[in-house]
Amino acid sequence: MTDTRSARGGEASIEVKDLRKVFSSSTGDVVALDGVSFSASGHSFISIVGPSGCGKSTLLNILARIEEPTSGVAALTNKEGERARLGYVFQAPRLLPWRTVLDNMVFIHQNPTQEARERCRDYLRMVGLETVEDSYPGQLSGGMQQRVGIARAFSIEPHVLLMDEPFSHLDAISARQLRSELHEMWMKTRKTVIFVTHDVGEAVELSDRVVVLAKGGTVKDIVEIDLPFPRDPSDDRVALLKADLLRRFESWREEVVAS
Amino acid sequence: MTSTALDRPHVGDSWLQGLRQSTAVPRMLAIVTFLGGWQLLVPFLPTEQIPTPAAIAAFMLDELRGDTVARATVYESFAITFARLGIGLVVTFVLGTAIGVLMGTSRRADAFFRDLVVGLLAMPFVIWALVCAMWFGFTFTTPIITVVLAAIPFVITNIAEGVRSVPKDLVDMARAYDVPTVRTLRRVIAPSLMPFMFAALRYALSLGWKALAVAEVFGASSGAGWVIRFWYTSHRMTGLFAYLGFFVVFAIVIEVLVLKRLSDRVFRWRP
Repeated sequence: MTDTRSARGGEASIEVKDLRKVFSSSTGDVVALDGVSFSASGHSFISIVGPSGCGKSTLLNILARIEEPTSGVAALTNKEGERARLGYVFQAPRLLPWRTVLDNMVFIHQNPTQEARERCRDYLRMVGLETVEDSYPGQLSGGMQQRVGIARAFSIEPHVLLMDEPFSHLDAISARQLRSELHEMWMKTRKTVIFVTHDVGEAVELSDRVVVLAKGGTVKDIVEIDLPFPRDPSDDRVALLKADLLRRFESWREEVVAS
Repeated sequence: MTSTALDRPHVGDSWLQGLRQSTAVPRMLAIVTFLGGWQLLVPFLPTEQIPTPAAIAAFMLDELRGDTVARATVYESFAITFARLGIGLVVTFVLGTAIGVLMGTSRRADAFFRDLVVGLLAMPFVIWALVCAMWFGFTFTTPIITVVLAAIPFVITNIAEGVRSVPKDLVDMARAYDVPTVRTLRRVIAPSLMPFMFAALRYALSLGWKALAVAEVFGASSGAGWVIRFWYTSHRMTGLFAYLGFFVVFAIVIEVLVLKRLSDRVFRWRP
């Protein structure tokens, strides 16, 4: 079953070019993103890191077409060149409190057929929550709700999975467990993932490429990480890379503060 | 789980304890004290115009049996009253929701309606009954218009507030997943409005009910309010109190049986 699943997700390519986003308000214009470009294809796991207010979430929202770019291109396409199907895991679970867990998942399916329901059940089982499909979100813990959000995103078998700091609201233990579960699911399904985080360690553990944004919404650096999975946070190479990135991160921040 | 016989109460005790902790007892006590005190006090009052609760209850029973000197039975009168209430509330919600949605979505519409609604809120609804009677005469519609005028500002303000607080994060979620608009309206927007709808319904019901009674007393030739006027003009205080009693009982029945059940059903997702 899993084999056909992974094939169904398929490959995707990401093309972000000269992306610019300006928010206009009565107090003046705020530049959220400025000349952001990167591209990827295949089964990459891309992390986007940067200090708060550097436009990380805006970038994801433009990719998800919740927001329009001011100028530039942000295209997610599947193998056939059509628009890629997207899964989006938000910072907060964003579940409908008045629908049951299973109904919350079926809600996002274009055709809420019996088959779609069954597929939702499969993914709910994958995150270990098959027993709560008839519960309401308010009856679950924060970690369980976030799991439902992840299962929901996987259940439409997206080409690309967008994740916006999905573990930042959780306690350290739940976050760590969910991180490794997510990694397992990614290894199994091999989606293209764009993962926003402010946690450099998280980015190093999970991704094969890290896009670093600076304040003002510009790309500061793109770092390829060529270490085998699974990556143990206590592994020397992982720790070293983390420290190195953090140091660069700090100096970038100082530059910004100095200017 | 391992409690001994000593610290576990007897079955009889627990029944008594349950009774002691239940709020039903003080509530019953309040009603009994009130009605009993009233019953005992009446003989000492320097007026003949206050009937005893027992006399009122007897009168209500007679009315319920259809034994009345009024032109219509209690069923006929309240059927008319409820029909007016129903029509009035439907009109109120249709108009109020339309204006409320407009105010909640457009800043200009909000600016246009805001002061008018505040003015309407400040109007004493009793006056509407008089004004409507003078404008429209003693017709079937006069009390309906009064209900609408009394209840609509509450519906408008609640719906507008509800529309303003539609959860944007959930709407964005639906948008990110390309959920069809109709489904978003049904599954995201409508349920998020429900608490505001219920608040509006509660206000509209309680105010509409009172406005309706007054409008029927002053500006109608049928309905339960009109019967109150009938007993008033024929100096039958017992009849007047009996119909007041019907008004109160029906209001409580609507609150407990209809509203409470409806809200339990709609909000069963609340933990």
